[in-house]
Amino acid sequence: MVSPLGARRKTPASNLVRGCARILVVVGAGLLAVACTQTKAFLSETEIPERSGTLRVLLMPPDVEVSEITAAGLSEPKADWTARAKKNVETALNALLAERDARLIRYRSASGDSTIDDAHLQAFKLHGAVGNTILLHKYIPNLALPTKKDKFDWSLGKGVTVLHDSFGADYALFVYFRDSFVSSGRVAVIVIGALFGVGLPGGQQIGFASLVDLQSGDVVWFNRLLSAGGDLRKPDLARSASEDLLSKLPL
Amino acid sequence: MSSGRIWFALALMSLLAAGCATPPVVDVQPGERPPLESDEAGFWMVMDRVEERVRTSGHVVRDERLNAYVRDIFCQLTLDYCNDIRLYLVRSAYFNASMMANGTMQVWTGMLLRTQNEAQLAAVLGHELTHYLRRHTLQRWRDIRAKTDALIFFQLATAVAGVGIVGTFASLATAGSIQAFSRDMEREADQLGFEMMAKAGYDPRETPKIWEMMIAEKEASNRPKGSIFFASHPTSQERRDTLTKMAAGYDSDTAKLGRERFVEMTARYRGDWLRDELRQRDFGSLQVVLDYLMEAGANPGELQYFQGELHRLRGEEEEDDEAKAVEAYEMAIDTGGGPPEAHRALGLVYWSAGRKDEARGAFEAYIEAAPEADDRAMVEYYLQQFE
Repeated sequence: MVSPLGARRKTPASNLVRGCARILVVVGAGLLAVACTQTKAFLSETEIPERSGTLRVLLMPPDVEVSEITAAGLSEPKADWTARAKKNVETALNALLAERDARLIRYRSASGDSTIDDAHLQAFKLHGAVGNTILLHKYIPNLALPTKKDKFDWSLGKGVTVLHDSFGADYALFVYFRDSFVSSGRVAVIVIGALFGVGLPGGQQIGFASLVDLQSGDVVWFNRLLSAGGDLRKPDLARSASEDLLSKLPL
Repeated sequence: MSSGRIWFALALMSLLAAGCATPPVVDVQPGERPPLESDEAGFWMVMDRVEERVRTSGHVVRDERLNAYVRDIFCQLTLDYCNDIRLYLVRSAYFNASMMANGTMQVWTGMLLRTQNEAQLAAVLGHELTHYLRRHTLQRWRDIRAKTDALIFFQLATAVAGVGIVGTFASLATAGSIQAFSRDMEREADQLGFEMMAKAGYDPRETPKIWEMMIAEKEASNRPKGSIFFASHPTSQERRDTLTKMAAGYDSDTAKLGRERFVEMTARYRGDWLRDELRQRDFGSLQVVLDYLMEAGANPGELQYFQGELHRLRGEEEEDDEAKAVEAYEMAIDTGGGPPEAHRALGLVYWSAGRKDEARGAFEAYIEAAPEADDRAMVEYYLQQFE
């Protein structure tokens, strides 16, 4: 930044990032009470219709980020850990979906690399926004919205048909994971804190997945995973985390 | 509290401080990407994703000519890094630009509205490039990490020693120290940005002028002013004074301003950008901007229209805003070059003052000046009210 005056106002992009971070902090606070893995799924009222053939499910590139917690509790994003975790999650999701009664379509960008095409990025961004809204308002009882309290009818809107048109899929599966691990300094702080009866948070894992109908845009199924353990950097643990996350997937 | 306890805490603190000296950084090399295992790569990863959002944001100005123009000024500062930086013009009020660790530069249109020529813009672009070159994100992160790490152990030690209050003071000192480090990086960016623009042949005497305007805006603004202890940037006064001194050492009589081309390239958007500023309803600050632009002299008719809008929207009786609005709109219309909306705005002011005949005349003039206007039906409805 060049200017402190402007610095108080953030660009739309940074607002988004800050918004997501804030939500994660709120959700993270709920984690303290959780010792082991916990999932809670929602199913929309719109039934998944019977179709003549096998359902075609598009697996979107999972949104994964792994970080390290510093002694003071700040989180430092780790590129190498993230790359490993993302690969493990992708492998696990592919294997898990292959076992189900669905035809898996893997997302491919026009350039063939791991990026998402601009045309699809808007749907991806929208899913991030809607997913975080669901996390906030459906999972934290005090923040329940009066009009959505007793139902589950979130939708990304018709705009997602762009994914249907590009890949010929009936549904898209979006997966989001954040995993964090303590640094040695944090371990020391936690140990010293514990000696004096103060409980301090360590690493945590949070994930959510949603199944989106690519004709209507409706989020037909949503699941959230919280865990104080787990390690997406390890293939077997990434597999079990993905398994927990997809356990109640209606496919 | 016993002195023994304090000594224990201080001893522990110094022990920890010894372990947290951060390694010096070297400039980013052209085409460089940090190795995947590094802490720096983590920031690039996060910023790559933020950039994805910026790139597809509805707030980005897509005009190819304007983008190419700003990019061209940037590349005159640095051929080596020209391809490493992605430059996004972001539609937003206020004066700002930013650089992310991975080379994503954002220049706000509020900045382009305020800079008067290429020389001033080049100084800002050089400032932002310095943040990239000198790895300021990384330096700042390492500084924050080291200082907060030391702080938490110090706080634990003081709490254990029963002098927890010392730890509370230490956290304030740490916050201040982190911001002081940030101010030092801004100073470095100001200095190197200055050198880059001067080397590219731009007139260095233009750089302090940016801060002159910022000082005047801040004085006139209704926004709260914070304490320097927790400020991320040096004061505008300090920046202006430092840059003035630096410019005094340059023989810049042959240096270029790039004024005509700058005005030509931005003229078409100035109205939109002024409208963005109006929406902030920070009239004191906007008055300063209008005064500067008026002094520079391009298209005064358009500026008079916005001067009228400022008075109309502020609408304070003791400031005599109504009369001043009328005066400004009339000048805008007489001078020419302003938008046809000057007629409509004039009509609205007359109408609310009960001067119906004049209001009718103004609305009719608006329809004549802008027969295709989107709100023509609305204005015709206004006219019916007078019958």
